[in-house]
Amino acid sequence: MVKIAHWIPVFPFLAFWLNMMVGRRLGKGAGYIAVAASALSAVVSFLVFQGLFAGGTSYSLGTWITINGNPITVGIIVDSLTVMMLLVVSVVGTLIQIYSIGYMAEDPRFSRFFAYISLFMACMLGVVLADNLLLLFIFWEGVGLCSCLLVAFWYEKPAAAAAGLKAFITTRVGDTGFLIGILILLASGHSLRFADLGGLPGHDFLMTVAALLIFMGAVGKSAQFPLHVWLPDAMEGPTAVSALIHAATMVAAGVYLVARSYVLFLDHPLALQTVAVIGAISAVMAASIACKMNDIKRVLAYSTMSQLGLMMLGLGVGGYTAGTFHLMTHAFFKALLFLGAGSVIHAVHTQDIREMGGLLNKMKVTGITFIVGSLALAGIMPFAGFWSKDEIFLAISHQGNPVFFFAAALTSFLTAFYMARLIFMTFFGAYRGKHHAHESPAVMTSPLVVLAVFAAGLGFIGSPLCNGVFQHFIEKGDEVVALNYSMVIFSTVLSFSGIALAYAITIRGFALPPAVLSNISWLTRLVENKYYFDELYDFLFVQPFLRLCGAFKRFDALRVDGFVNGVAAFVGALAQVIRKAQTGLVENYLLMQAGGMLLILLTIMGKICRLF
Amino acid sequence: MIPLGHFVILSMFIFCIGVFGVLTQRNAIRFLISVELILNAANINLVAFNKYYGSPDGLGQIFALFVIAIAAAASVVGLVLVIAIYRLRKSVFIDDFNLLKW
Amino acid sequence: MSEFAFYFIASCLCITAVLSVTVKDVFHSSVWLALSLLFVACLYFYLDAGFLGVIQVLVYVGGIMTLFVFAIMLTSKIGDHSIRQVNHQFWGGLMVAIALFIVLVQVVGGNPLARLHAAGSSTDLKTLGTSLVTTYALPFEYISLLLLAALVGAIVLGKVKK
Repeated sequence: MVKIAHWIPVFPFLAFWLNMMVGRRLGKGAGYIAVAASALSAVVSFLVFQGLFAGGTSYSLGTWITINGNPITVGIIVDSLTVMMLLVVSVVGTLIQIYSIGYMAEDPRFSRFFAYISLFMACMLGVVLADNLLLLFIFWEGVGLCSCLLVAFWYEKPAAAAAGLKAFITTRVGDTGFLIGILILLASGHSLRFADLGGLPGHDFLMTVAALLIFMGAVGKSAQFPLHVWLPDAMEGPTAVSALIHAATMVAAGVYLVARSYVLFLDHPLALQTVAVIGAISAVMAASIACKMNDIKRVLAYSTMSQLGLMMLGLGVGGYTAGTFHLMTHAFFKALLFLGAGSVIHAVHTQDIREMGGLLNKMKVTGITFIVGSLALAGIMPFAGFWSKDEIFLAISHQGNPVFFFAAALTSFLTAFYMARLIFMTFFGAYRGKHHAHESPAVMTSPLVVLAVFAAGLGFIGSPLCNGVFQHFIEKGDEVVALNYSMVIFSTVLSFSGIALAYAITIRGFALPPAVLSNISWLTRLVENKYYFDELYDFLFVQPFLRLCGAFKRFDALRVDGFVNGVAAFVGALAQVIRKAQTGLVENYLLMQAGGMLLILLTIMGKICRLF
Repeated sequence: MIPLGHFVILSMFIFCIGVFGVLTQRNAIRFLISVELILNAANINLVAFNKYYGSPDGLGQIFALFVIAIAAAASVVGLVLVIAIYRLRKSVFIDDFNLLKW
Repeated sequence: MSEFAFYFIASCLCITAVLSVTVKDVFHSSVWLALSLLFVACLYFYLDAGFLGVIQVLVYVGGIMTLFVFAIMLTSKIGDHSIRQVNHQFWGGLMVAIALFIVLVQVVGGNPLARLHAAGSSTDLKTLGTSLVTTYALPFEYISLLLLAALVGAIVLGKVKK
């Protein structure tokens, strides 16, 4: 039954066309079509999941092109990683689209929104199903485009339009590297199929470079350290988009790419080491910024970036199952958190947590599900995030680098702190806003409940309590996890201390002595300004580029246009003279004709020059 | 017997007179007269070659016949045009019709 | 004798042709043209193409020349002698025509065909008629179509619009 896998992206794609063509006339129906399409994809994904157990494998739909005698197939990959991603994307995607029907209800471009979302779903499922790098790259660009379109969905807001552009251009930097990496592989005559990436012959350095360039694509997509600047700005888009694209699926595509071409990284330790370093830097940096943010969505955005860094770190230290497990659990609880945030924003009409507070009484469902999601993210014992984060900790300690372990521990502590701060400021204390808050409609809260169930319970399939079902599924019985009690105690203490600190600061009004505060003021300023990355990039790239463009513009206006206009003026002036030959008198033309005939005759006779 | 070349030179002479007329006449009717001369020059050639080569089915003469028919059609249309233009602009002088000017 | 006839006809033809493009009066010009066309018809008789000679007289002298005369009469005042009949490029046209003649004579003079003396068998009228309706039936029909088109076109163009 796995041979139906290639139909999975087709349904959302058809929904995209339908909504694009006749969406406006459908009204609310546009949303139902999109939901139905992705629900259908989810059903087919389940069938493929079953088919995988029945012994289904990857298959090919035929050869697309042949480069250097190297056939590029249109192949569908069917293995545990893909099936996991298929289920995550289609299930989370369906839930988020149900939510969107309520969230976007009053938007004038309702059908357009669902068209874009459907296109995104199609591309994302395509990314997951592609069996070679080139095919993946095509869908990869597709999700990038949808991301840009959806971030800039409210393009009347200049900030949204700029954010869309920023998201597109920044990820494009990574994608360029990705493409060069693919081309290096192609030029060295390698197959681009993921199945053939292991043990590539050829120069080790070149292959390391190729791996790093492919990782660069993942860095751009997953908003990792040097190319992370777009993700916080991307929060200008509708919250449902943030939940689907910038939390659950697209940004996870970078992690998926690394996991998918994992053998390539395993063969080249330097590349794998880079993955870990970049992941660690992103995790700590983003977590620290999240502590100072007051915009509920930006906190979650930095949290996403930090968690993705943690996944990269997990992959980089050799924890393949740990990284993918965290990818799966994160998709659910982060989607839940974003949808909850959307519900809150829907209710209070602001994103600033300083204007919220005490919302738990007014929005019971949203509040409780949001707290469940936060606990999962903070890594509290039975919730999903705990088990997957624990896996990563174990993988790091297994590898034994203390710096990485410290980074992961710090990230974990900061995560618990900022999530607790967010919860306390949003749902507890006194309400500080002006707008009357109310609970969201059922179409929005029911996906929250479903996602909360996943966020609470999904961790068990990868926990030692269930004998590591997930790990066996992903790795085919390679790792056997035992419950490491010291690690459990350590991470729980870490999380609770973070929560306690947040409680002390936000509820109890605890503050450090002014002398200490002034001493670390440079640090807070640094964090508040997001480590000045936007300013640095503006100074390093944007301004020089604008100056270069200005120079080109002047060159174009003066030299190029001057030359072109000069040619035109010359021809024009010449024509002013020559057009006098057009007397309009037939006899003149005839004389010319007769003279020409004479010349032709003379030429044929060889009197002028010998042509024949 | 006259050599073929003499016929050809005769036809060329007539042809050149026709060309001269076409190039120099102002009057549209005299222009058409010159065109008739050119066509007749061609016909002389055709008939002479037909005679000297002894074409079995008389291709040269048939061709000349066609040329006469076409010349008739051409001069009819040409003369009607001259008359139509004369009605419009009260002139038959070609250098008065210079609307194709720059 | 026959040589003399040819040269006589040829010289008459040349003179009338030259006169037809040089005389001042348009009406005279058309008369000289008619004469030169008659001499062409004579040349056809000389070349054993009697049928063609008859056609030449009928169509040209009888038909086309009548049209010319009508046209000249319809465009009345152009017969005025005070009006210049040649345009400003008279000398240019003359030189081109002369040069063309010289070059063409050169072409003919260099060709051995020009010295062909023996005439082939002449075509009799029966052969001509047969081939006109058998081998060349299609172009014959086309010519009739062309004449019809010319007829219709002439009526349309010549009609005075109310």
